[in-house]
Amino acid sequence: MAQDATGATGARLNPQVDSLIRAAQGGDEDAFERLVGIYDQSVLRLAMNFLGSREDARDVYQEAFLRVYRNLHKFRFDCSFHTWLYRIVTNVCLDQLRRRKVRKEEPSVVETAEGSIDRMEGFEEDAAEANPERVMWNRQLRARIERALGDLTMRERMVFELRHYQGLRLRNIGEILGTTEEAAKNCLFRATQKLRVVLGDFL
Amino acid sequence: MTCDAVVKSIPPYFYGELAAEEECRVEAHLRECAACGREMEGMASLAGALGRRQAEVPEFLLEECRADLRVAIQGAPRRAGGPAKGPWTLFLEAMGATFSGFARWRMPVGAVALLAIGFLGARYSGAGRTWWRPADDNPIATVRSVQADGTGGVQIAFDETQRKVISGRTNAPEIQRLLLTAFHQNSPDVRVESVGLLTAGTDTEVRDALLGALDHDPNAGVRLKALDKLKPLAGDPGVRKTLAHVLETDDNAAVRMQIVDLLVTRPDEAMVGVLQNVVQREDNSGVRQKLEKALKDLNASVGTF
Repeated sequence: MAQDATGATGARLNPQVDSLIRAAQGGDEDAFERLVGIYDQSVLRLAMNFLGSREDARDVYQEAFLRVYRNLHKFRFDCSFHTWLYRIVTNVCLDQLRRRKVRKEEPSVVETAEGSIDRMEGFEEDAAEANPERVMWNRQLRARIERALGDLTMRERMVFELRHYQGLRLRNIGEILGTTEEAAKNCLFRATQKLRVVLGDFL
Repeated sequence: MTCDAVVKSIPPYFYGELAAEEECRVEAHLRECAACGREMEGMASLAGALGRRQAEVPEFLLEECRADLRVAIQGAPRRAGGPAKGPWTLFLEAMGATFSGFARWRMPVGAVALLAIGFLGARYSGAGRTWWRPADDNPIATVRSVQADGTGGVQIAFDETQRKVISGRTNAPEIQRLLLTAFHQNSPDVRVESVGLLTAGTDTEVRDALLGALDHDPNAGVRLKALDKLKPLAGDPGVRKTLAHVLETDDNAAVRMQIVDLLVTRPDEAMVGVLQNVVQREDNSGVRQKLEKALKDLNASVGTF
């Protein structure tokens, strides 16, 4: 179920954010650092979840907040800072995903004769599991989830990510992605239908 | 409302995105239509399966990202009065204070310090990275204070830790003891990993630790992992008591769903009352449907009379 534990929602309602933005726009770097500290955990989580790679998530974090730093003077308070920030973050995430598709990097989950193996996963967990069937089932489910998410269009995947994992409202997602709430809702519907088809027998 | 319209509304309904009036219409339809009810159940199952994929952000990664960003955007020492300061910030401040008399050198010195720290920081952690170690090879855990004397000297107080690496079989008593210790670490990553490696057998200490994690850990990923490890003990009266309590109090729908699944694997009369109470208060439609199905399977009514 959707999570929003780190305060992204709270931050949208925090009146102190505006004064931090104004101070940062005036060159106060401590204010900028505090502003980053309010949002950066949820940004990093979004990037890790969306890209499935810590290294890619680091790159997204750096690139997104550098863009914020360079362009903060252009922020005019005509939308919430959260929306403005997430526009940047989602664009950087999508760019990173496009680059990865162009590079045709191997997915972390690979199919082998023995079943699906997640190369990012440690071996210790398997050794500890008492039930090998359960281990195999979990691995196959993880592989199928990655495949199912990989089959979505980038927009469907981002809408699903923002709604399901980041807990954002569809209206806000529409604003972030430059579309309407209705379009975001349709996108979410298509995403869930596709996911259910691919995950079918695991559900 | 047609079935097509209801099916299209199920994802926004599940996430609580429908207006109250539309939500009532969908619920009325779901009560009458078994096919759409199955669609709703499919949505809840999907959310349950995907809920486990949520990434946790390791604290060290966040700190590294912040440090990298700081190095990337700053050419001058940090100002005082910021948020809680880490060792790098304190060191930068010390450098700034130490050279405060040489204003024209401040920028280049700060830049050199940042470069040096960036270099050292880049060596920390991850594949092929090592944390900077002083000559005696003890890593610094925390810098407690930094005091510049104004004449070019500085006094830095810091704690040291001696890192040890222990390898062994996961079921070895020493390893299990360390895993229990890892329960109390700040990093959710460490807690998730250690819960996943604990062996829930006849050892009451492990069982109690898992129950404690399920009941009290602030991280839902840790609670789900603890729940998974408690599955073999689902028939234990003490475990069932905690499961019932957590079902009533946990704010995470995925946790509540898994508890219902676990409780119904060993149906008993005592659980009926618990499920009946919970279903009345449950505000998540996916969990509510699961509870209703469980009660139906137990030949019990949904309401209490």
